[in-house]
Amino acid sequence: MKFIEFINVSKDFEERVVDNFNLYINKNEFITLLGPSGCGKTTILRMLAGFEDATEGEILFEGKSLKDIPPHKRAINTVFQKYALFPHLNVYDNVAFGLRQKKLPKEEIDIEVRKILKMVKLEGLIHRKVNQISGGQAQRVAIARALVNKPQVLLLDEPLSALDLKLRQEMQYELKEMQVALGITFMFVTHDQEEALTMSDTIVVMNDGVIQQIGSPIDIYNEPKNRFVAQFIGESNIFRGVYQGSKQVLFMDQLLSCVDENFTKGENVDVVIRPEDFDIRDDGPLKVVVEAIVFKGVHYEVIARLQGKEVVIHTYESPTVGQTIGLSVDPYEIHLMKVPHEEV
Amino acid sequence: MKKFSIPYMIWMGLLVAVPIVFMMVLSVTATRGVDFTGAFFTFREWSNLTERIYINAFINSFRLSTVVTIISLMIGYPIAYMLARSTSRFKSLWLVMIIVPTWSNMLLRIIAWETLFYPTSILNSIGISLDLIGTDLAIIIGMVSIFLPFMIFPIYAVLDKLDVSLEEASADLGASPWQTFFRVTLPLSTSGIVSGIIMTFLPSATAFAIPQRLGGGSILLIGNIIENLFKRSFNYNLGALLSLLVIAIIFIGMRILSKVDAEGETLI
Repeated sequence: MKFIEFINVSKDFEERVVDNFNLYINKNEFITLLGPSGCGKTTILRMLAGFEDATEGEILFEGKSLKDIPPHKRAINTVFQKYALFPHLNVYDNVAFGLRQKKLPKEEIDIEVRKILKMVKLEGLIHRKVNQISGGQAQRVAIARALVNKPQVLLLDEPLSALDLKLRQEMQYELKEMQVALGITFMFVTHDQEEALTMSDTIVVMNDGVIQQIGSPIDIYNEPKNRFVAQFIGESNIFRGVYQGSKQVLFMDQLLSCVDENFTKGENVDVVIRPEDFDIRDDGPLKVVVEAIVFKGVHYEVIARLQGKEVVIHTYESPTVGQTIGLSVDPYEIHLMKVPHEEV
Repeated sequence: MKKFSIPYMIWMGLLVAVPIVFMMVLSVTATRGVDFTGAFFTFREWSNLTERIYINAFINSFRLSTVVTIISLMIGYPIAYMLARSTSRFKSLWLVMIIVPTWSNMLLRIIAWETLFYPTSILNSIGISLDLIGTDLAIIIGMVSIFLPFMIFPIYAVLDKLDVSLEEASADLGASPWQTFFRVTLPLSTSGIVSGIIMTFLPSATAFAIPQRLGGGSILLIGNIIENLFKRSFNYNLGALLSLLVIAIIFIGMRILSKVDAEGETLI
């Protein structure tokens, strides 16, 4: 039996926002729904929380349909995008809200609330009003308020989007640590690919309400299934090519070795090469003309032209603008993808 | 910017401060109307305040306006809540339908009720004959129907701004819809409720046209007493004194209002 299972779930508002969504989630998994805004990822989360009903299909929780279970009876808690802290209650009362709902004895509530506030490092702000704390602190209160109920699943709706970069990165590690320590299933929604890659066990890439790819961060990055995934996760150079059989692909007039072989000879393919996977060598088979160089801190971003097509290269040594350089790519850095049906 | 407030200050002075000072003078003197010849300083009218008729009028006003306020709150809150949560495209039409009556003449609406409350009325044609004139019920129905929008709108204004995700968060944390209402929605709409209560209570406590038409002369509220003192018995001194008392009550009400709603967000 799967822990959580989405079976053919679709959702219509005025138009279809989620289309035939199928997914299962394991216990203790950190699963991330990744996609641009409006791709339906928040709607998935809200259906699991119980704030929206699926138009079609069903969601199973430990094998049982969630259909007729209202949000307040689900063993699921949510960290809302804008935190949704109760403005009429202080930090302590916000966190105690769920436990008081369960009618636990006062002393027990007190112990639990203080314990969780200590874990999120907020024990000094217990009696502070929630409009007198910073964004990062509010975020911790929201997490504490959800986690104190010991949910089986924690849903997080872009909880880090309102924080500045430094705090966001810090919270990414802390969230991951909490998830591992508490052994709770986390379902995380974000449009930030870096966030998804850092924290997740499994990433579900979505676009226009449809799943594009499900996989581990490494799979998603190295083996994108289609152009959308390749372009949404990290930077990509995508070329049209033709598979020549026996691990050879022809693109940009060059025959290069690759490692993919699940294609038929003569099949059109999309060739994906990450900017950091090019090696600049004099004898490189791809001859490009450097057009612009941007210093990015760790590396240089080189914009070059290859037979009229723009190519992005990341390198540690800067060439000069106007120079013709040779590029080579190791076979395992070349990733081939199927071309969408309508273009074949 | 201060100089732009000068015309406003002048008008306020002429129309508010001067009349109030004038009433204060009237309340501690004995005059014949506004004729000050032979006037003298006295607290005579103040001792009249303890007379049965005036105390009864105050009690009547307080009793009826309390009932009216409670009924308005009971009817108004659910309406405000439904309007605020409505996603219907007719929502603005509903809002307009509540506002529009307040633009029509109040006296006209009172007289409309009055004709229905007599035993012989248009209602006879559908087999109903009411005999309500002179009863508390008539006055209460009249007041509720006229002051209800003043209860609905402040509450609506607060609920409309209330983030729905707060109610979702409450449900998420295990609160049933009713628990959510009492632990989240209601506490967060207190300022609207207080505004609504004051905006309903004050006009009903000081009303005189409604009790006059629907009370049939048998139920006197403080507004009717004041009107009689000025228009019938020409006792401007006692009239001024009672008016000042009413103004004091209104002033206290407005102070409470500005305390609970400093930004004026409950007022439309």
